[in-house]
Amino acid sequence: MPINLTTSDNETFTVDKKVAEKSVLIKNMLEDVGESDQAIPLPNVTASVLKKVLEWCEHHKDDPAPPENEDKDDTRKRTTDISEWDQKFIAVDQEMLFEIILAANYLDIKALLDVGCKTVANMIKGKTPEEIRKLFNIVNDFTPEEEAQIKKENEWAEDR
Amino acid sequence: MADTNMIPRPATPPQPGANADLTTTWAYLLHGVDGIMTRLKDGVSYTKYMGLYTTAYNYCTSSRMHGGSLEAIGGTRTTGANLMGSDLYNSLQRYFRDHLQSIRGQTDSLHDETLLQKYAEEWNRYTVGANYVNRLFTYLNRHWVKREKDEGRKNVYTVYTLALVVWNEEMFKYIQAKNNKLANAILRLIERQRNGESINTGLIKQVVGSFVSLGLDEQDSNRSNLSVYESAFQTPFLLATENYYKAESEQFLAENTVSEYLKKAEARLKEEEDRVEMYLHSSTRKGLILKCEDVLIRAHAQKMWDDFQNLLDFDKDEDLQRMYALLARIPEGLEPLRKKFEDHVRKAGLAAVQKLVGSGGQEAADQVEPKAYVDALLEVHRRNQEVVNRSFKGEAGFVASLDKACRDFVNTNAATGSNAAKSPELLARHTDALLRKSNKMSEEADLEQALNEVMILFKYLEDKDVFQTFYSSKLSKRLIHSVSASDEAEASMISKLKEACGFEYTNKLQRMFTDMSLSKDLTDQFKQKQEQNHGEMEINFSILVLGTNFWPVQAPKIDFNIPADILSTYNRFQGFYQSKHSGRKLTWHWNLSRNELRANKMNPKYIFMTSSYQMSVLLQYNDNDSMTIDELVQATGIPKDQLEPVMNVLIKSKVLLSDEKDTYDYNPNYKNKKIRINLNMPVKTENKQDTSEVLKTVDDDRKFVIQATIVRVMKSRKTMKAQALIAEVTQIIAARFTPRIPDIKKAIDTLLEKEYIERADGTRDTFNYVA
Repeated sequence: MPINLTTSDNETFTVDKKVAEKSVLIKNMLEDVGESDQAIPLPNVTASVLKKVLEWCEHHKDDPAPPENEDKDDTRKRTTDISEWDQKFIAVDQEMLFEIILAANYLDIKALLDVGCKTVANMIKGKTPEEIRKLFNIVNDFTPEEEAQIKKENEWAEDR
Repeated sequence: MADTNMIPRPATPPQPGANADLTTTWAYLLHGVDGIMTRLKDGVSYTKYMGLYTTAYNYCTSSRMHGGSLEAIGGTRTTGANLMGSDLYNSLQRYFRDHLQSIRGQTDSLHDETLLQKYAEEWNRYTVGANYVNRLFTYLNRHWVKREKDEGRKNVYTVYTLALVVWNEEMFKYIQAKNNKLANAILRLIERQRNGESINTGLIKQVVGSFVSLGLDEQDSNRSNLSVYESAFQTPFLLATENYYKAESEQFLAENTVSEYLKKAEARLKEEEDRVEMYLHSSTRKGLILKCEDVLIRAHAQKMWDDFQNLLDFDKDEDLQRMYALLARIPEGLEPLRKKFEDHVRKAGLAAVQKLVGSGGQEAADQVEPKAYVDALLEVHRRNQEVVNRSFKGEAGFVASLDKACRDFVNTNAATGSNAAKSPELLARHTDALLRKSNKMSEEADLEQALNEVMILFKYLEDKDVFQTFYSSKLSKRLIHSVSASDEAEASMISKLKEACGFEYTNKLQRMFTDMSLSKDLTDQFKQKQEQNHGEMEINFSILVLGTNFWPVQAPKIDFNIPADILSTYNRFQGFYQSKHSGRKLTWHWNLSRNELRANKMNPKYIFMTSSYQMSVLLQYNDNDSMTIDELVQATGIPKDQLEPVMNVLIKSKVLLSDEKDTYDYNPNYKNKKIRINLNMPVKTENKQDTSEVLKTVDDDRKFVIQATIVRVMKSRKTMKAQALIAEVTQIIAARFTPRIPDIKKAIDTLLEKEYIERADGTRDTFNYVA
């Protein structure tokens, strides 16, 4: 059974139920409200982002459901294990990357959220604060005293 | 849905924007949540659902600082992120509370079933709605609640659990505060069902189910425990159960028989098991059943025990089964039954033998027929074995009671008196009768069955060695006189004995069979040799060579004159045997031999089957027509006292005539309808002699067994105290017979004399093994 999804910019996507249900939000709602031919409004997602997200969902539609207590699962926290397909998929500009992360969070697609966050983590890894600020366009709003204080507190973690 | 107490509902507020403040946000959410909680059946559109979800999501993800929210939580952040949510959470909590406070008054005027109905109805509506709301606020759960809990804050729950906590406080406790109104309503309903009314069990199931849901684990509020269920319901329920059945069982027993009560108790226990299944939490089963067993069974166990004999006497199988099944459920419940059963079987066994012996005293006891005796014992065993299997499910304790009782009455009863050898003897004689040709047991299977039954009693014999000695004496007779019914049956019986008592026990018996088959070969070889050397033999000859140690036979101590007619064969066989086995000594048992004579002088030429003694007498009449007893003694070498019984048979059968005292004449006019005449009748007094002989053998054997056992024990232990030695020897020998302690002491003395063992230096009761 096909599901219609309408984005904030009023574009409608028709996808297989199985694909749509990668989103726990949609899955729960279909369970609670029941199925109908109404379109499901997604007021927090734009068409360009949803297109990407659905591409991911389509590719992963047959993945087994993640285990219940995945917080205890160490592999989820490891940054290195992003599959080849996912790496290619997530190789997008920074703005799109953050949009995908936000959409995954909103739609409650844990695996996609993980892929996004791991990618960001990999971007940060091995960089100095100054490099990170540059990478993400962050203005340094610490006073020099604050900065010295924080540096001192985190000295133990310096890779020397 | 009764919502007369609700505040008039405002029109649907517009969906707030992404950065709306709490007031705007909550106004929108409150309207949606209340709709779901109170009018879910009106349905929810995708747009509405997504609107509510998105609004909650947006509020939680908005990065605006909401003044005061951190203080409201009362914790200090250790993480940098500012998590939004506590305001929403508090608002939800307030909503649930207001909602329940507004409807709970409706239960005030309700009681019993109507109260339960109202409670269940509200509970269902409330939990279904709360589940829905829980999902709409998934993001709050995932984000704010999870973080709060991770940081160790107590009393923060996911939205659904929060709803339950508020129900517990505002609804459940509110109703229960009125004299446990809710639990008591359930208890009264259950009591009505116990009284036989039909009730709405589904209703109880729902209400009880809500109690289970309300239990929250203090340590981990996501896990449930049974605290509410147990304290509000289970404890009073068990108490009510106890009181109910205490009263019922006492009244019932006052008006009915124990048999009736057994049925009642059985039915009640079954009912209670079903009750747990039907509408209680499974954890109640154990406590409930224990309580019922205590009140229904243990409290009345004495009455049941007292009635047990009565049921046994009248063979009330069903009642026995029921009593067994009930008493088996409580600790120590069966022990008195086992004891009573044992007494019952013992009495039955003793009575059966007493009936057989009658009031004839010692003489009647001596005359007891082996078959009647064995049958009487078996019948008692069979009947009670059936009771054990059928009524007591073959339970090991009752089997032990049966065995113990059987062992008692099989060994000591009216027929045996104090003679421990009597039962083994009667059983051995019965077995002998079974295995003889003369036994008319038609089917092989019947014989096998009869032998199996012998083994049932054999198992109970204390003095198995007495049986063994009688058995081997009887077996030797069956083999020597060729009156055994079948080799298969003999072998089968021996293998049964071997299975029961081991190789050693049947070793001699088996050797007897070996000798029989060796003898057959030997006879054939001898005949062949004779034919080669001397042509056709004049007389037909066969021989049994029996190993001295294995056969319970004794050669006569007389100087028998071997008749000339067989002397040459005798000498040839001696020579033949010595050439085969030099150094072996042959002892000839003339008293056990049989012969066939053709009376050529007579017309027709009768064939007489005789003993060797009879033969040697009759052969004298080839040359004489009349002889005196002294002449016969002289001629045959048979002493007078043994010759006289031989003569009596010949006179009685009229082969010889005796007109004068001590003179015997050939009877030329002998007539008989048959051509073959058996003169070789067993002598009457045999049995009596047998018995005392056997007992003497047994006694001798026992001395050796005891001595051998002592030596074996001492050899392995080297040093031992008398007390321990006697105990160990007794235990080892018990499989064969029960040794008397004086006999063991005597054996120890003998071994001291023979210097197999010695007293340890300076002691009176410690022995050393002498290597």
